[in-house]
Amino acid sequence: MITKSSVQINKEWDIVGARQMGRELAKDLGFGTVDQARIATAISELARNIYLYAKKGKIAYETVEKMNQKGLKIIASDQGPGINDLSKVMEDGFSTSGGLGAGLPGVKRLMDYFDVVSEPGKGTTITTIKWVR
Amino acid sequence: MNLNIERIDNGETQELKLAGEIDAYTAPQLKEALLPLTKNEGTTVVVDFEGVNYMDSTGLGVFISALKSTKENNSDLRLVALQERVRRLFDITGLDSIIDIESTVRGGK
Amino acid sequence: MEPYKFDVNNYRNLLKKYIASQDEKSLYQAEQFSKLSMQHNISPEEIINVHIQALKELYPDLPTEIDSSMNFLLETMISYGLAYQEFQSLREKQGELESEISIAANMQQTLLSTTKPDIEGMDIGAISVPSHQMNGDYYYFVTDESNNLGIAIADVIGKGIPAALAMSMIKYSLDSFPDTMRSPSVILEHLNRVVGQNVANTSMFITMFYALFNYKTGYLQYSSAGHEPGFYYCAAKDQFFEIKTKGLVLGVSCQVTYEQLDITMEQGDMVVLLTDGVTECRIGERFIETEEVLEVIRQYMHLPAQEAVESVYRHFERLQDFQLRDDFTLIFLKK
Repeated sequence: MITKSSVQINKEWDIVGARQMGRELAKDLGFGTVDQARIATAISELARNIYLYAKKGKIAYETVEKMNQKGLKIIASDQGPGINDLSKVMEDGFSTSGGLGAGLPGVKRLMDYFDVVSEPGKGTTITTIKWVR
Repeated sequence: MNLNIERIDNGETQELKLAGEIDAYTAPQLKEALLPLTKNEGTTVVVDFEGVNYMDSTGLGVFISALKSTKENNSDLRLVALQERVRRLFDITGLDSIIDIESTVRGGK
Repeated sequence: MEPYKFDVNNYRNLLKKYIASQDEKSLYQAEQFSKLSMQHNISPEEIINVHIQALKELYPDLPTEIDSSMNFLLETMISYGLAYQEFQSLREKQGELESEISIAANMQQTLLSTTKPDIEGMDIGAISVPSHQMNGDYYYFVTDESNNLGIAIADVIGKGIPAALAMSMIKYSLDSFPDTMRSPSVILEHLNRVVGQNVANTSMFITMFYALFNYKTGYLQYSSAGHEPGFYYCAAKDQFFEIKTKGLVLGVSCQVTYEQLDITMEQGDMVVLLTDGVTECRIGERFIETEEVLEVIRQYMHLPAQEAVESVYRHFERLQDFQLRDDFTLIFLKK
């Protein structure tokens, strides 16, 4: 069975809602405590980026399956300014140097699959998946 | 190793009063303060060296950039009140022949 | 002591022992456990998770307050775990960069290598030591068929890698001058154009002293492009004289002419060429005076030239507590 749901990000408190929904889905799928915490942190980071740089956007969730594995797919999308220099943003030390948080490299580390598509002026879509171990 | 830069705005004449040392660490700070001033046509930029007891060759680089900028932007650069040790650097490098340096030389400490 | 695997059972047994006896041995083993975990890139939140599991196995009736508080701690540690991983990856990158720079520094040495000529009746010593990995100072020797020795000593302003890149340009320009054009002022005028064309719009510039020495006659001609003045030691008078000519640094203005002067060296005379790494030496809070530099040179100049420059360098190195602030280059030319 595939379930889909999403949370709109318009204000800072929506980040909490996005985490909450991600954690509940993760728990239902059978993720352990550590992975639940990792997924919540990744969602936090993605939602914060939306809130800070694009003002509004959406975190969408899907349960996915491959072979005998179940996973949680999280898609963060916005119509914000987009990212000009992706390779710079994906570099370690770029966003963390100012104490801004884990940044996109952090999200990539927390999750098993990571992909980002961004067009300056049009917006950004980040797709990540975590598989149940 | 610090450099204090005080800017005095007299319209056509912009003065920078320097105090401290100009070296590889402080030169970028000086460059940031000095170069924009040279970009305004007709401005005379006066740099007061009275409080500068040391400058290394990195500092000279900043004044060479500033000089090039005055030529491009029709502004003027003048250095005043240099201590002997600093003055010697402009003298050896021949830069005193292309930069306007006030002739009064004050002794070092 | 038995090695510890990263394993809940191990951790639980260790924890149990410690809670029962609160002994130092268990704490030491905990330290080993944490080091082993780091080697295996285990993040802090995973350690806490192991702790939670062990705690629940040891105390099945753990109060829910403690349980929740442990989960809270786990959440809090996630970002630390990320920071730790990032730190690891940056450290790897730094290692890569450092090895790249050291390869570049070796390459620079090979590219810029110059052979100190062996000339009968002359004793030449030369030393150049960078303050960082890459040297912004440079010296160059060239000989021709008419008993001439050309010597260049240069300092690129701006240190490190950019300076080293600019130096290669100087070396290849010097190589391309034909023997018939080796008059110091002409060489500097040409180099000035080369540098000016290639480093325009930067604050980089180069100072250079060029000397052309006829080792049969002892006649030495020299010009300077804003370089630190050298010294001429006259044995007959037992005195040092500054050798200084007027000339602008290379690369600042396109049309520059360079003054050229000359001296004739007699038996026992010596010419000293140097960079400002020598004269701008700091002793504690003050700078070295020219007289002191000459005193140090005088102290060692009776030695064979190469030994002498090395001794002077070691002397200055000690004066500055073995921390060079600038690249240091010194040449002795003894007749």
